[in-house]
Amino acid sequence: MTMSTSKAIPGAQFIDPKVLMRVGNLELVARNVVEGFINGLHRAPFFGASIDFAEHRGYVAGDDIRRVDWRLYARTDRFYVKQYEADTNTNLSVLLDISRSMKFSSRGIPKLEYGCYIGGCLAYLAQRQRDRVGMLTFDNDIVTHIPPSAKHFNVVLGAMEKAKAERPGNLAVPLNKMAEHFKRKGIIVLISDFYEEPEAVLEAIRPLKFLGNDLIVFHVLDPAEIDFGYEDASSFQDLETGEQVPVVPQSLVKEYRAMIQAHIASLTTKFSEHRIDYTVLNTAEPLDRALFSYLSARERLMRVR
Amino acid sequence: MVFLTPFFLLGLAAIAIPVLVHLIQREKKHVVEFPSLMFVRRIPYQSVRRRRIRHWALLLMRAAAIALIVAAFARPFLRQGAAAAAASGGAREIVILLDQSASMGYGDHWTRAQDAARGLVRGLGTDDRATLVLFNKNAEENMRATADRTRLEAAINAAKVGSGATRYGPALKLAESILSRSPVKRREAILISDFQRSGWSGSEEVRFPEGMTISTVSVASPNTANLAVPSVAFARSSFSGQERLTVTAGLSNKGDEALKDVPVTLTIDGHEIQTEKANVAPHASGSVSFTQFTLSTPNVRGSVRAGTDPMPADNTFNFVLAPSEPVSLVIVDNGDRASSSLFLAKALGIGTTPVFQVDVTSASRLTPAALEKRAVVILNDTVFPPAGGGGTLKKFLERGGGLLVVSGDHSTWPQGESELLPGRFGAAVDRTTGRSGSLGFLDYSHPVFEVFKAPRSGDFSAAHVFRYRALQTTPADRILARFDDGAVAAAERRIGGGRSIVWTSTLDDSWTDIAVKPVFLPMVHQLVRYLAHYEPPTSWLTVGQVLDLAARARGRGDRTDRIVVTPSGERISQSSVGEGGEGLLELNEQGIYEIRSTGAANGRPEAIAVNIDPAESDLSPIDPRELVAAVTGHATPTAAQPAQSQEMTREESERRQSLWWYLLMTGLLLLAAETVIANHLSRKEKFL
Repeated sequence: MTMSTSKAIPGAQFIDPKVLMRVGNLELVARNVVEGFINGLHRAPFFGASIDFAEHRGYVAGDDIRRVDWRLYARTDRFYVKQYEADTNTNLSVLLDISRSMKFSSRGIPKLEYGCYIGGCLAYLAQRQRDRVGMLTFDNDIVTHIPPSAKHFNVVLGAMEKAKAERPGNLAVPLNKMAEHFKRKGIIVLISDFYEEPEAVLEAIRPLKFLGNDLIVFHVLDPAEIDFGYEDASSFQDLETGEQVPVVPQSLVKEYRAMIQAHIASLTTKFSEHRIDYTVLNTAEPLDRALFSYLSARERLMRVR
Repeated sequence: MVFLTPFFLLGLAAIAIPVLVHLIQREKKHVVEFPSLMFVRRIPYQSVRRRRIRHWALLLMRAAAIALIVAAFARPFLRQGAAAAAASGGAREIVILLDQSASMGYGDHWTRAQDAARGLVRGLGTDDRATLVLFNKNAEENMRATADRTRLEAAINAAKVGSGATRYGPALKLAESILSRSPVKRREAILISDFQRSGWSGSEEVRFPEGMTISTVSVASPNTANLAVPSVAFARSSFSGQERLTVTAGLSNKGDEALKDVPVTLTIDGHEIQTEKANVAPHASGSVSFTQFTLSTPNVRGSVRAGTDPMPADNTFNFVLAPSEPVSLVIVDNGDRASSSLFLAKALGIGTTPVFQVDVTSASRLTPAALEKRAVVILNDTVFPPAGGGGTLKKFLERGGGLLVVSGDHSTWPQGESELLPGRFGAAVDRTTGRSGSLGFLDYSHPVFEVFKAPRSGDFSAAHVFRYRALQTTPADRILARFDDGAVAAAERRIGGGRSIVWTSTLDDSWTDIAVKPVFLPMVHQLVRYLAHYEPPTSWLTVGQVLDLAARARGRGDRTDRIVVTPSGERISQSSVGEGGEGLLELNEQGIYEIRSTGAANGRPEAIAVNIDPAESDLSPIDPRELVAAVTGHATPTAAQPAQSQEMTREESERRQSLWWYLLMTGLLLLAAETVIANHLSRKEKFL
């Protein structure tokens, strides 16, 4: 664990050894088309230049004759080409929402920090399998942009440490701009609290998806946002807008819970319709368990592809 | 309620604090940051609810607590009223004497008096007790001692101006009696009146002991204008066998301005007969005579109305007229001298009130039937008439007849009829030698001589008596007059309902010259009136008089029940028995009372006119201090005392009442209760 807890490396705290011990055996795999030059740990769904035989297919003009399975030609008198599993390296971009709502914390760890942990761990996994790592933070505009690179892991971690939630957020504007930055397909990890209407969220994300990227969405929520466990009637201030609204929690808690669950359910439905991985993360849950459960599910799904 | 330091009341603005705390401050105190209120904003109900006051009781308790505390700092005290401010220190026993005599009906006197009484009641302290006494000629305890202001005020509101005369004596005596029974140290009578001078003679013998005070509230107006009809006179005359009557109304102007062309109207049986114009100088009297009219039936109702002024009660004078009834009498003489009854007959022929119907006959011609319809029999120097023997004269006397026995040479009295004569005749006493006799003693308390009681009202000593008959009376007989030598001149004996009087000399010029003296005629008239039980017909009575209806009915032999209709229309049933004072009717109202017998045939009911006391028309006031000084022995400030003394007692009143203490404690208790309730609700709802 070279990245362990060294203070010398900015953002190193986001690479939690305990978390990594738990998820260390897992691989961050891209399900979609990933191009790369380095044979890595990624198993692309496409055939490539690896040593793992996948299947035969009929020869078509233009195929490299070196890939013709001559033994099979001898038996069948037909040209078949051998195809192998392609192991490629890919771009992993962490899109981190640093709008003001992300600094909310009701029980210790703010959502932004939690998001950084997730992003950091995934970046570490990607970097370990020689994928290129990049990062992009945004609120109502793009704040920092670190292009994916095999050498940018430390830069990414440093940017995470410096990230501060200071401005109100907006998904549509920055994500539209981001789409212009992604020239190659890759894995895009979007970490946000998605305080927008599900339709608006999908509308904002759609440009990323058009490029063929593998979109992984983490919906980070504080437990207070889920169960609304307030008791005293107070004036609630919206972190995004600064607006204050008098609230009697006991009177609306049921309705609020129903609404947030409906919001999550709506996002789940819409993301699954677009084949986007969507995971709700509760900051009260241990990070390792959340990440492990996600990666396990992703690997399990990969097998049935 | 008055505040000693009213500027503290500005603190009442603090009542807004609980409201602001409830609606504003509490929300701003705890600001909770939340990532996004996207969902909260979709539930607008809570915002509305928050801005609505849900616990009114709590809010009211808070506001009331603040108001009470602020009021306590303002140091409130109850204004005790002008009369109450004069005294301080403990509970008081108060008697409110409210004048309801007829004179209080002048202008707004009564309204002001009621206002003053109500003001006094409102100024009562919590421990004070008050008694309401309404008085005119008499005093009545209208509301017994009570601290209930509502009842007192209701009694004051229900009181009305009466028709009675003003007399302060009974009211003050009643007040003294009430206050003397009270164990309270501070005892006070408050007299609310127009302070008519006629209501206080100075000889009432009312004296408040030490410890009792009297305050006065005068509602008298400085310049009063009042025209009154204090009396009416009737002149009767006979014309063609009918009685004609002339009404003369007296007018009295009690104002400072002369009255010109005042209409004075005579009304008979509801018809306006005549209206005359009259001029009356200020503080002077006048009269108006109306033309004659024939009077043929009894119970004719009439009234005289003069002008209009702020006191209408005395502008009308009511009366009831009836044809005069002559007194029938017979003079029995010896018949031997033609002139023996001349003086008596002539003297009795002059009378008009009443008219004497005189018949002269001799003793021998007198028949028992002649006594039947006579009221009086005069035996003028005659022998005892044979017709009167055998109990006839006795029966005449027992049924109410009158007998006058005039002594003389011929007078004889049988032994068997001696009970009819007040005494026993003796021999004639001759006073012709030497100095003649004269009347030396007269019983002026007797109705016969009562009219001569006043000085220079008849000189009996001028009459010379030359002879008289000695008379030996019994102790049961009443001596009416004696001669200068002590011999009885006149004596009376009552026999049944009748009266028998003996005059021991003659009533002509034979034994005495009294027949030619001025006192002869009135004396004879008085004798006959008395013997005939003559009562001059009263055309009106005065408010406050009591009428003995039972006695009137008995006199007429009326045995039926009666119904009395008062001027205000109230019907009073009275049985014919009239026991226990039932036959007595107190005349409290001005106007015409009707007395109807239940068994009587339809006809004109008996009527009695009642007028207010003429003294009520004189509104000239007495100085209240004079009255107070007479009652208490020392002058006491009246209600109109200087305001400075009231100001001096403001601090004292506030300190004594100490209302601030109760207000402060109540406010603090409210705050404590509010805290408990609020905490309870807070635990229960977890949001407040």
